[in-house]
Amino acid sequence: MTEKIGVYVCHCGTNIAGIVDVEDVAKWAAEKLQRRGVVIARDYKFMCSSLGQELIEKDIKELGLTRVVVAACSPHLHEKTFRNACKNAGLNPYLCELVSIREQVSWVHTDKVVATEKSKAIVSGGVERVIWHEPLEPLRVPIHPATLVVGGGIAGIQAALEIADAGYHVYMVEREPSIGGHMAQFDKTFPTLDCSACILTPKMVDVGNHPNITLLTWAEVTNVDGYVGNFQATIRQKARCVNTELCTGCGICWEKCPKKVIDDVFEAGLGKRKAIYTPFPQAVPRYPVLDKANCTYFLKGTCKACEKFCPTGAIDFTQQDEFLQIDVGQIILATGWDLFDVRRMPQYGYGRLANVFTSLEFERLSNASGPTGGKIVLRDGVTPPASVAIVHCVGSRDKNYNPYCSSICCMQSLKFAHLVHERTGAEVYNCYIDIRTPSKGYEEFYQRLLEEGTHFIRGKVAEVTNAYRTPEEEGKLIVQVEDTLIGKQRRIPVDMVILSAGLEPRHDAKEVGRLFGISCSADGWYIERHPKLDPVATMTDGVYIAGVVQGPKDIPASVAQGAAAAARALGKIQQKEVAMEPIRATINEDKCSGCRMCNTLCPFNAILFHEDKMVSEVNPALCQGCGTCVAACPAGAISGTGFSNEQILAQLDGLLLLNIKRLEEIPA
Amino acid sequence: MKEYVYFPGCSLEKIAISYHLSAVETTQKLGIKLTELEDWNCCGATAYFHVDELLAYTLTARNLAMAEKIGSEIVAPCSACYKNMYFTNVHLNEDPDLAEHINEALQEDNLSFSGKMVVKHLIEVFSNDVSSEEIKSKVIYPLSGLRVATYYGCQILRPKKDHEDVEQPHYFEDLMSAIGATPVDFPLKLTCCGGSLLISSRPAAYSMIHNLLYDAQRAQADVIATACPLCQVNLECYQQQVNQEFGTHFAIPVVYFTQLIGLSMGIPPKKLGFGKEFLSPKKAIDAIKNIKSQEEVITQ
Amino acid sequence: MAPKPSFGDEVANLLHAAEGNPLRTCIQCGTCSGSCPVVKFMDQTPRRIIGMINAGLKDEVLKTNTFWYCASCYQCTVRCPSGIDIAEAMYALKRYTMWKNQYKEGLIGPTFSETFVKTIVRSGRSYEPLLAPTYIFSYGIREFFSEALNATNLMLKGRIPILPPRIKRLENFRRMIAHIIPIGGVE
Repeated sequence: MTEKIGVYVCHCGTNIAGIVDVEDVAKWAAEKLQRRGVVIARDYKFMCSSLGQELIEKDIKELGLTRVVVAACSPHLHEKTFRNACKNAGLNPYLCELVSIREQVSWVHTDKVVATEKSKAIVSGGVERVIWHEPLEPLRVPIHPATLVVGGGIAGIQAALEIADAGYHVYMVEREPSIGGHMAQFDKTFPTLDCSACILTPKMVDVGNHPNITLLTWAEVTNVDGYVGNFQATIRQKARCVNTELCTGCGICWEKCPKKVIDDVFEAGLGKRKAIYTPFPQAVPRYPVLDKANCTYFLKGTCKACEKFCPTGAIDFTQQDEFLQIDVGQIILATGWDLFDVRRMPQYGYGRLANVFTSLEFERLSNASGPTGGKIVLRDGVTPPASVAIVHCVGSRDKNYNPYCSSICCMQSLKFAHLVHERTGAEVYNCYIDIRTPSKGYEEFYQRLLEEGTHFIRGKVAEVTNAYRTPEEEGKLIVQVEDTLIGKQRRIPVDMVILSAGLEPRHDAKEVGRLFGISCSADGWYIERHPKLDPVATMTDGVYIAGVVQGPKDIPASVAQGAAAAARALGKIQQKEVAMEPIRATINEDKCSGCRMCNTLCPFNAILFHEDKMVSEVNPALCQGCGTCVAACPAGAISGTGFSNEQILAQLDGLLLLNIKRLEEIPA
Repeated sequence: MKEYVYFPGCSLEKIAISYHLSAVETTQKLGIKLTELEDWNCCGATAYFHVDELLAYTLTARNLAMAEKIGSEIVAPCSACYKNMYFTNVHLNEDPDLAEHINEALQEDNLSFSGKMVVKHLIEVFSNDVSSEEIKSKVIYPLSGLRVATYYGCQILRPKKDHEDVEQPHYFEDLMSAIGATPVDFPLKLTCCGGSLLISSRPAAYSMIHNLLYDAQRAQADVIATACPLCQVNLECYQQQVNQEFGTHFAIPVVYFTQLIGLSMGIPPKKLGFGKEFLSPKKAIDAIKNIKSQEEVITQ
Repeated sequence: MAPKPSFGDEVANLLHAAEGNPLRTCIQCGTCSGSCPVVKFMDQTPRRIIGMINAGLKDEVLKTNTFWYCASCYQCTVRCPSGIDIAEAMYALKRYTMWKNQYKEGLIGPTFSETFVKTIVRSGRSYEPLLAPTYIFSYGIREFFSEALNATNLMLKGRIPILPPRIKRLENFRRMIAHIIPIGGVE
């Protein structure tokens, strides 16, 4: 039985009609493809408009169309629109095909005659193809109402609280002993100079106390299986050696512990902690962890002071790592960032020259609960600096390291300048390329720093050296920079240099991303679904990203993204199920030889192998319809719904006008 | 036995003859064969690049083409010669059209450049190609107590060639440590000496030389070790003038690293070209306890 | 007819083999001038020169001594965050001024370079005594005597060549050079 096909050729204003003779194309289709099933062919100014869609709907109802071909823009834009129109009229939406004569014809050709002929061929291809289309139903999968939030920084905390407050369960997994992330390391936050801990800790406490949040710190996700709505995550709860049922967080164990270790995570290497510790006083949860690599008991078999003094007997040296399996519907990744390793730029002297500090080290210096009690002093721990230089753009905006701008360092450098003024009265020199202060209150903050008497030198610091040339320079760190606004090279002797180092993705971001099925851009940040219009979703349904993990940003933006990801997740949870595109691959069991070539090729790990039947099977919920397995299968056992061999070959036939040629050989 | 084609360069004929002598002696001691490139021409230094780039590449290509006939690795003691040959090699390999153009000219001398030469600086031979164990094994008189400011200079490291640290290299210091000397903390070790600015902008060159000498003196270096004849001449032969200009009293001897290596290996100082300096390192080297017999002491 | 190249284009064309990014990608950060050991003696800093080239200020650029004072130490090139090969750009400017014979008065570099090239063309090797006249009189009486004393000392220590060296296959060498540029002149 021949199908009844309707062909609709769009003018797209003058976008298409300016180059392609759209009326001719419609007329041609009606005439030449009539015997292939075309019962009506129309052209219209804007097919995507409601009037245009109504044309289609009317024809379906009145002419009993069984297939629709629309020749217009790219399917990326309006495939959904026309499918919906068909659905409204009672025709299965997958029986509609949108062929592009804009991106593929009118936008790339200038010869009108050629363009019109090409459009006819494309319409012909579409018609031949659509004959082979089958009615399809989207897959509906249920959404598990729990959500996994990976990363306990401010973005993760915000996301978790929003979901939990809405009444749904959240598992929060954090690698460090406490949540809080980098924000917990800061003293003040720009531009308001709010005390960081004062605004962060209430949220942290909320997370710790929330009945809907299961907080797992000192834990990592080791495996994720499943698909949107239905993930199974395996979490390794590392051994704290502390029984959290009994521990009250009193702190006697770490007080009594004799072993001091340099804390190069929270204290950025400036301070020490004990072998059993919580990273900072306001840690959530309060339970300490035991660092087995540095514990005297684990190294030598002696000590056990913590166990001896613990009033509740909560220390348990025999504790092992535990693995938990949880079921969640969606996952939010908010794993944050690492600081650029400034040792990659030896010209700034970090490590070689004592009083060169990184930004995180300075945050700890200025923090009231830091290793110096908030006193800004040199490495000797005693002397305050009389002059400080702050170097912007270390490792950022630099093709030799990271080409991107790290977004927050200008504001952070201004904040540092302010803190130095306030606490020491030292002379401060900010050496910058540009001052980037885009958000609310930021430019005003810069003005404030100007009024405070900060010396701003526009020039990227070339080197920091101790090779003095004059008696004034002796014993100082000399910052050599071109003051570009006056066009002269200057050597500025200072006591302390702070390097505003850039933000980088976590060193294991790639591996972690792979666990969750998401990929990293060239710079290493996770890739969002659309850089402008969809910054928190990823190409993997059900997995979202929030915070700096998506790209450098400040705290307000991280919080906003955390909330956005939560809103997305909540939206899906409320719908209880999600519809998935039926464009999938299916394996014909009879043809499958069990070679398993497709298993390893699938980029989404969507193909299972049944040992008993020796055949592979595609999991339709994970399959994204990329077509790799279809092409690779040596037995031709896999076909893609929506891209079957018959459909593709028919389209080629139509494109080459072989269908017309055949028709011409047969008498009408 | 390691073999290299040896490109001495114009300076090593006379003004830096001690570099040439000590290079030959020390490589011989280490069982390395240096075959001097026959009929080599000037590498063009920097001056040729001021005038015509194509011509400059042609000059260097001639040397490389001749070297291809007799060996696979060519070694240059002078940093400028090294830099010119290395980058001519790279650019001609990357741009076949340029190479073709130059090869047409080279035909006049029956030569053809094919780009297979590996270009090395002499110091690489000692710090990379020979293990430090081998060097240590040949040391008879470790130069203990001799404070050496290891002056790399600029063109030995820059432009960047991918495989090295251009901001904090330490191979020169390691080499000096291997012969028992004490490399000092010399932050200006990578800063330019002025090179040919001595000719074209003397005050600028004096200022740069002054900064280097000041830093070496601050580090209490007994001697500055260099790996380039231009650096040696600039730093040594003009110390007097710098003193006059800046009112300083520098008197720091400047020697070639091969001379120091040679001394530690027990090669007689005369053979290493000692005695040709303006500022004798005699005093500093005499102070080394490990020098056994008096004949080893430099006479001048 | 092709449009006349801008000054920036002309400079870029002279940078035949430089692998760096175009001069127009300069963000004017000043790292080059901050690193330069000779900048104190230059009329304009290297960064300013690039800015001036990008602004098309040809005559002003050619009037400066900046690029003739460049020591080619390449510190700027290895540190430039935009990946521009600034030292090579300085070479290109030197070539440009030699080609157009338009440069600041009193500079020794151009004459010295020209003489150097002529020496090599003549004999295939450099020979210091021939180069001396290009600079020995330019720094004042005291420098002249100081240099003469230096030269004498070097000669006594056997460090100055008496006879000019030559390569053997000089004829072939000259023909080879003539293939590239007309012999006898270096413009």
